[in-house]
Amino acid sequence: MNAKNIFKLCVIGSLGMATLGLTLVFNASPAAAHGERSQEPFLRMRTAQWYDTRWNPQKTAVNDEAMLSGKMHISEDWPRAVVKPNRTFINVGSPSSVFTRLSSKVNGTPMFTSGPMELGGDYEYVIKLRGRLPGHHHIHPMLAVNGAGPIAGPGGWMDIQGNYKDFTNPAKLLVGGTIDTETAGLAVGLFWHILWGGLGFAWIGWFMIRPMFLIRARVLAQEGGDALLNDPVDRVVAFGMLGVVFVLIAIGFFVTDSQYPYTIPLQAGEPKIKATHLRSDLTVKVLAADYDVPGRALRMTLQVTNSGEHPLRIGEFTTAGIRFLNKVGVANNMDPDYPPEIMAVDGLHVEDESPINPGESKEIKIDSRDSLWEVQRLMDLVHDPEQRFGGLVMSWDESGNRHINSIAGNIIPVFTRASAS
Amino acid sequence: MALFRTAEIIKASKLPPEGVKLSRMIDAVYFLPIAYLGVFATFHMHFDLLAGDWDFWVDWKDRQFWVTVTPIVEVMYPGAIMYYFWTFYRQPFGATLSITGLLVGKWITVLFAWYWWANFPANFVMPATMVSSALILDCTLLLTRSWMLTAIFGVWAFAMVFNPTQYAIFGYSHQPLVVDGQLLSLADYMGFTYVRTGTPEYIRIIEVGSLRTFGGHTVWISAFFSAFISMLMFTIWWQIGHFVGQSFFWVKGRRGVMSRKNDIMIVGTDEFAARHGTPDGVAPRLSGGATLAEGKS
Repeated sequence: MNAKNIFKLCVIGSLGMATLGLTLVFNASPAAAHGERSQEPFLRMRTAQWYDTRWNPQKTAVNDEAMLSGKMHISEDWPRAVVKPNRTFINVGSPSSVFTRLSSKVNGTPMFTSGPMELGGDYEYVIKLRGRLPGHHHIHPMLAVNGAGPIAGPGGWMDIQGNYKDFTNPAKLLVGGTIDTETAGLAVGLFWHILWGGLGFAWIGWFMIRPMFLIRARVLAQEGGDALLNDPVDRVVAFGMLGVVFVLIAIGFFVTDSQYPYTIPLQAGEPKIKATHLRSDLTVKVLAADYDVPGRALRMTLQVTNSGEHPLRIGEFTTAGIRFLNKVGVANNMDPDYPPEIMAVDGLHVEDESPINPGESKEIKIDSRDSLWEVQRLMDLVHDPEQRFGGLVMSWDESGNRHINSIAGNIIPVFTRASAS
Repeated sequence: MALFRTAEIIKASKLPPEGVKLSRMIDAVYFLPIAYLGVFATFHMHFDLLAGDWDFWVDWKDRQFWVTVTPIVEVMYPGAIMYYFWTFYRQPFGATLSITGLLVGKWITVLFAWYWWANFPANFVMPATMVSSALILDCTLLLTRSWMLTAIFGVWAFAMVFNPTQYAIFGYSHQPLVVDGQLLSLADYMGFTYVRTGTPEYIRIIEVGSLRTFGGHTVWISAFFSAFISMLMFTIWWQIGHFVGQSFFWVKGRRGVMSRKNDIMIVGTDEFAARHGTPDGVAPRLSGGATLAEGKS
């Protein structure tokens, strides 16, 4: 290799090192969301149908508690392409562990491990959190489905104020005493890592202080070289090292065993969660639906029957955590803290706004129209391999009682304004 | 009396003083920047692809799969590296070099990826250490000078001491606690409390209640099984080291015939020049200087 080639390699190496250095100087900007919009529409519309999601409070401090709660309907029209929810877990989608999770209950049952959920079942979740990392964070409820991956629910912003250094996460042990999960076992772990690492480097160093490669290779190639390289002092050191290793292992094991006499293995049970079911006096059947691509609207023709005793008015259509409301929905179900970027307060239009009277059965046309269809990338529906949609239709009686129906049906895209009549 | 045989070894190498000095420079350049960094980078990748998850999270460190998988994966690379260092240099630090290198890589990951970047506490993502096992393996090779005996006794001990070594580090995480009326180990609770996409336990491959017929001694049964598979893996990887680590030259003789020379040390000696000639423009050294072959009886 001549000087020119060496110079070239040095330049390339320097550029590589400079690139690595720059990655440290120019830090990546914080993530503002978790890619939920990149999940296919059929995954968001026809699996977990989220509603009543609450981020409470939206401003909290390090060490203070907060709550992520809401409800989720497991769609009856679960897509063929997604593994059925036989093993699921309610999770939190957040940029790292900005909160610690203190408890998680689904329909009142603690959910530490995964369990089956029922198609058509309704589940209320309450997740208790504790502020850990200060910042402005985008937090989602998330349904993890074994074989299908995580399915993100609606995302809302939560602020944590204060200083991370003040954070502690005490856990009370069954055998008495409290432990901080941030630091438990850290000092002991570091001690053993340093001790074993030190011994390992000492062992290598023992051979580094003498000629290591070329000389030994030349000697080994000679007759009798093998015996010459078998230095008696190395054998003594090896015996000594073996003794030290076994003694240290024994000390570590028995001291730890006496320190923690009561231990249990990792737990892998399964919660048995009983589903509830949506109740509604209304029966809703999708007769036809199309998606107006240029108009950014989902237009549905529904056959509705009121089998209750009170007139009902449709006020909300929600799908993929995105809410489309009209005046009825705003009057009955307007949560001022719901993230405005995933709510269209004038996004639902019912052609015939008269109430659906008891015993009445009629055909109505509903139009959920807003740029959210595009912004939230639900218009990608037209690229799905199965052209179906799903969502929840909410209606209210005069007393403000809510009736929820899960709907699903085929959808026909309308690509041009000319045909979007 | 000198502690080491270094003087005798240098004398036997028949290198002139400047050659000895140069060989030490080669030791430094070859060992640290090339051998050590190369081993730590490749072994780290190898380990993370095959057993990484068990060593990332405290709630993956179960008494069945973690105890089984980790020694099997960690013995592979050292097998090949030990072959190389032992066969060509009689250096008994191949396993320790590999595993300390792996740990350097793991700690870089823990500190920069998990702790600094992803904000997980270091205790939650602390790796296991198998330096104790590596030292046993290297010492066994040095003392027995046999890869077969090392595979039988050294590798067996390599896997069997895994759990007692780790218990000193992770024993605390098996303390019980009750949350919402449910019994959990501290490790389970840490896996639950630190929010991550990988929390649901179905992602973990941990013991879910098998090996019942062995009276609950899951960890030792797993360690035995791991030891046997580790023996097999060590043997296979020692042979991979043998396959990859062969050194020979194809030499063109006076009559133009290509022949394979396994004795690479002979290349460059007067004896070699006498048999095979010298490259164009290089005059053979006609002095009565020693050749390597002189040392042979």
